[in-house]
Amino acid sequence: MSTMRVEIEIWRQEGPEDRGAFETHVVEDATPEMSLLELLDRLNDQLAEQGIEPIAFESDCREGVCGACGVTVDDRPHGPVPNTPSCRQHLRAFGNISRLRIEPLRSAAFPVIRDLVVDRSAMDRVIEAGGTVDVAAGTAPDADDLLVGHDDAEVALDFAACIGCGACVAACPNGAAHLFAGAKLAHLALIPHGKMQRGERGHAVLNELDAEFGPCSTYGECVTVCPAGIPLEAVAAVHREGLRGLFRGRAD
Amino acid sequence: MAVVDAGKRSGAHQPGAGAAARPRPSTFVLKQVMAVTGVIFVGFVFVHMIGNLKVYFGAESLDSYATWLRRVGYPLIPHQGVLWALRVVLSVSLLAHMWAAITLWLRGRRARGPHRRRRPATFSARTASWMLPGGLAIAVFVVVHILDLTLGAGVAASGHQHADPDGTVHAYANLVASFSRPWMAVFYVVIMLVVAFHIEHGVRTLMQDFGATGRRLRKIWAVVGGALALAVVLGNALIPVLVLVGVIS
Repeated sequence: MSTMRVEIEIWRQEGPEDRGAFETHVVEDATPEMSLLELLDRLNDQLAEQGIEPIAFESDCREGVCGACGVTVDDRPHGPVPNTPSCRQHLRAFGNISRLRIEPLRSAAFPVIRDLVVDRSAMDRVIEAGGTVDVAAGTAPDADDLLVGHDDAEVALDFAACIGCGACVAACPNGAAHLFAGAKLAHLALIPHGKMQRGERGHAVLNELDAEFGPCSTYGECVTVCPAGIPLEAVAAVHREGLRGLFRGRAD
Repeated sequence: MAVVDAGKRSGAHQPGAGAAARPRPSTFVLKQVMAVTGVIFVGFVFVHMIGNLKVYFGAESLDSYATWLRRVGYPLIPHQGVLWALRVVLSVSLLAHMWAAITLWLRGRRARGPHRRRRPATFSARTASWMLPGGLAIAVFVVVHILDLTLGAGVAASGHQHADPDGTVHAYANLVASFSRPWMAVFYVVIMLVVAFHIEHGVRTLMQDFGATGRRLRKIWAVVGGALALAVVLGNALIPVLVLVGVIS
């Protein structure tokens, strides 16, 4: 098995109040099939052997569905491969790299908890504000009870694919969360239960975006990193729902 | 199916408990201010460019158009009435546009925090990062342009002719005198390129701000934006070039 030497410039931060700084480590026996997270695992083994505190980072499923992982690699959230979560970015895809700079997802809304772990609860507050459907749905209805057109169902599902990883926010030079919020709004605006609260949902989500995130200037950086492939239409959906609520002035 | 009263559920459809104070006016409102005033500017710049095309038909054509602009609507509207109405709308729009832009820029910086993005990779990201400096350059140009060709003061060419007492305007001669100075011609061409990128990105952003989510609509919208930007840069920037090479004189 061919091994490669990778120099890693990595962010170290004791806690939220610590200033934090980069430190450099070398993994001598990295392999091309390692994912970014596996490279960090290898580095942590090495650090543990040396009696050094391992680097804290988040991960869970490691197959791109949970949204827990996510680090910034060479200034790109999740890493150099477009639209792919950190756990599914493998060293073989990076070309001839010998040096990586790894830091947390960056945004004022994402305070660092420790090393590469950030607090993304600002996104939870967007979901709290309007990412749910307040309908007592009871038991499962008959299959033909609520008719949803196939195209609507497909589009809603495309937007529902968001895994809430926060890479869009970290990619945005303005720290905006419109892609994330818009995915939720576009999804819920298309389905029967969600439609009933379109007006109040748009209003609540826009308020929450204002409170903790920045404005969208159509940089389009978010769509280049989104592992769920959410399109820029999601951003337009935020404003569509906002304008619709404004002119309609009703809860639905 | 019953909708549970959202107000009775803690946390539901209300800003989260940890939410910071919301800035006023809201980002959404500021973006709409930018969008609406942006539409006014794109409309103005396009109509202005159409008017400028008269330069290709000779001095008579441009001068009579410029004179007509001061008399349009008379006697229902007093002389220069339409012109002044446009000036007021455009000035108010300009102030609103710049105020919203700077406020949003500051909010974006604050929301991003101290660790900035360093390498915007895409065309869209590059034009986006040029919106504010480009916009400031356009603002400077607006002042220079008005001094040069409207007021005939400050940076105006030495041969600038003011309007005759009967309202006849010497737009063509003033334009030729101004663009015969290479620095002014180059400045104008550069600013027209900046304007074109500003329009291209602005129209793309309008589509987002006005909530256009349909795939076909978005494609058409982006193409129209690009076409508008191209039309403005071609229609306008050719004029100083043709003055310099002596085609327009």
